[in-house]
Amino acid sequence: MIELIEPLTRSEQRTDAQVKIEVRDLDFFYGTTQALKNVSLSVPAHAVTAIIGPSGCGKSTLLRTLNRIYEIYPDQRADGEILIDGEDILDRRFPLSDLRRRVGMVFQKPTPFATSIRNNVAFALSYYERLSKAEMTDRVEDALRQAALWDEVKDKLGASALSLSGGQQQRLCIARTLAVKPDVILLDEPTSALDPISTARIEELIHELRERFTIVIVTHNMQQAARVSQRTAFFHLGELIELGDTAQIFTNPRVPRTQDYITGRYG
Amino acid sequence: MSLILMRRRAVDAIAFLFASAATAFGLFWLFWILWTTFRQGLGALNVALFTQMTPPPGSGGGLLNAFYGSAVMILLAVVIGAPLGIAAGTYLAEHGRYSRLARTVSFLNDVLLSAPSIVIGLFVYEIVVRTSGHFSGYAGAVALAMILLPIIVRTSDEALRLVPDQMREAAFALGIPRWRVTAQILYKAALTAILTGVLLGVARIAGETAPLLFTALNNQFWSGSLSGPLANVPVVIFQYAMSPYDEWHALAWAGALVLTLFVLGLNLAVRMIARRTSK
Repeated sequence: MIELIEPLTRSEQRTDAQVKIEVRDLDFFYGTTQALKNVSLSVPAHAVTAIIGPSGCGKSTLLRTLNRIYEIYPDQRADGEILIDGEDILDRRFPLSDLRRRVGMVFQKPTPFATSIRNNVAFALSYYERLSKAEMTDRVEDALRQAALWDEVKDKLGASALSLSGGQQQRLCIARTLAVKPDVILLDEPTSALDPISTARIEELIHELRERFTIVIVTHNMQQAARVSQRTAFFHLGELIELGDTAQIFTNPRVPRTQDYITGRYG
Repeated sequence: MSLILMRRRAVDAIAFLFASAATAFGLFWLFWILWTTFRQGLGALNVALFTQMTPPPGSGGGLLNAFYGSAVMILLAVVIGAPLGIAAGTYLAEHGRYSRLARTVSFLNDVLLSAPSIVIGLFVYEIVVRTSGHFSGYAGAVALAMILLPIIVRTSDEALRLVPDQMREAAFALGIPRWRVTAQILYKAALTAILTGVLLGVARIAGETAPLLFTALNNQFWSGSLSGPLANVPVVIFQYAMSPYDEWHALAWAGALVLTLFVLGLNLAVRMIARRTSK
């Protein structure tokens, strides 16, 4: 099925769209359970790629291979190749710290660290770069502005991050990720724990960030995928069923299973 | 339908009655102990208690040397036990979470946790007192540290495990190495729980008598040095309570009261810290 789809999607890809991430023949295992089966796909730079599919289809798993975060659990394993800017990041020799600096990740539930707003942003920054106090202040402000949080927190940077609302916490997590200047941002259902207004703000933010970053978002919410993404990949039972331009996937899917899912027949 | 409802109400009422009775039963003894301690101890509570040494039979005095001895031994036990215990707890919760070695260590720690304190006293007697040739405050502190250690290992292990994995993932996703994540993110998140463990451990060792009998022994006189026998509150209470002298009895009650208040205060402090952070 994948062989059938690939030529179509390739031809549709704008020729100027540069490929940022190339996944080749990826298998993923939780212990002995296979969660991804022979997945191959490419993610264009400076665009939002949405991954949709029913629960347990492997969409979060795919995201978790892109920064190798799965490696903290010893029974999880990925086989295959993931090229980012042409380099295989699944190669053991690829330095994890470099990878995760280039590929930031924001999770489903906001995960502020139990410290001040400022320190949340400065934490990773101070690990990667030796900055003077003034430079650090600038970079923290810059990151918070990019995450559209600055105006709400500028007077209380020393306050605990836990005192922020859920939506603010999530934008803080985005700011924290942006602070170290990544190329790729992975968003794992970033709004599923948020109310509609906070969700709208995050979606606006994704629009703003799209120009400068490569964004991959996993979402349960198909309207959200349609709203924020340019490319959409549909997964089912660990397989990539269809990948194409978002408009095409939602208006004219080529595979019946995609059609069934987006019209709400299952999932 | 209404029969089922009535039956449920009846069962509920009986369960409530039993639960309340059990609570009342437990509280009854606690309050009786507290009441007796206060009634007997308050009379002997005076300034001399904190300014004078333990007296010979038949004359007045205080417990200053015992308070001092207990304080320094507890302090030293914390200095020895807390860093070791937190380090071991960190290993169990973070580095060795999935390893066989960690499971073994965890099991052995549980064994140590339930080891009778008198056995620990005898052990330290063998390895410290006998080899050095004399009882000492150091030996007492080592014995207390050995009782404190497994408590802190267990509580800091659990405190770190309570930090959600999402927090770890979020920190690792920034590319931060493990030791830094632990030191700067996880310890902060688990700080109150770890501190609670240390304070509860201190409350536990403050009243330990058996391990001190074999190690610090006791000392009727002032001794600032830890290298000789050292007075301490639990052993003084034990000896004075067993004596035939009324003055000693009064001092034993006063010591018991101060000890009780100290432990009570620690528990209250733990509660307050926990409440402040949960807000």
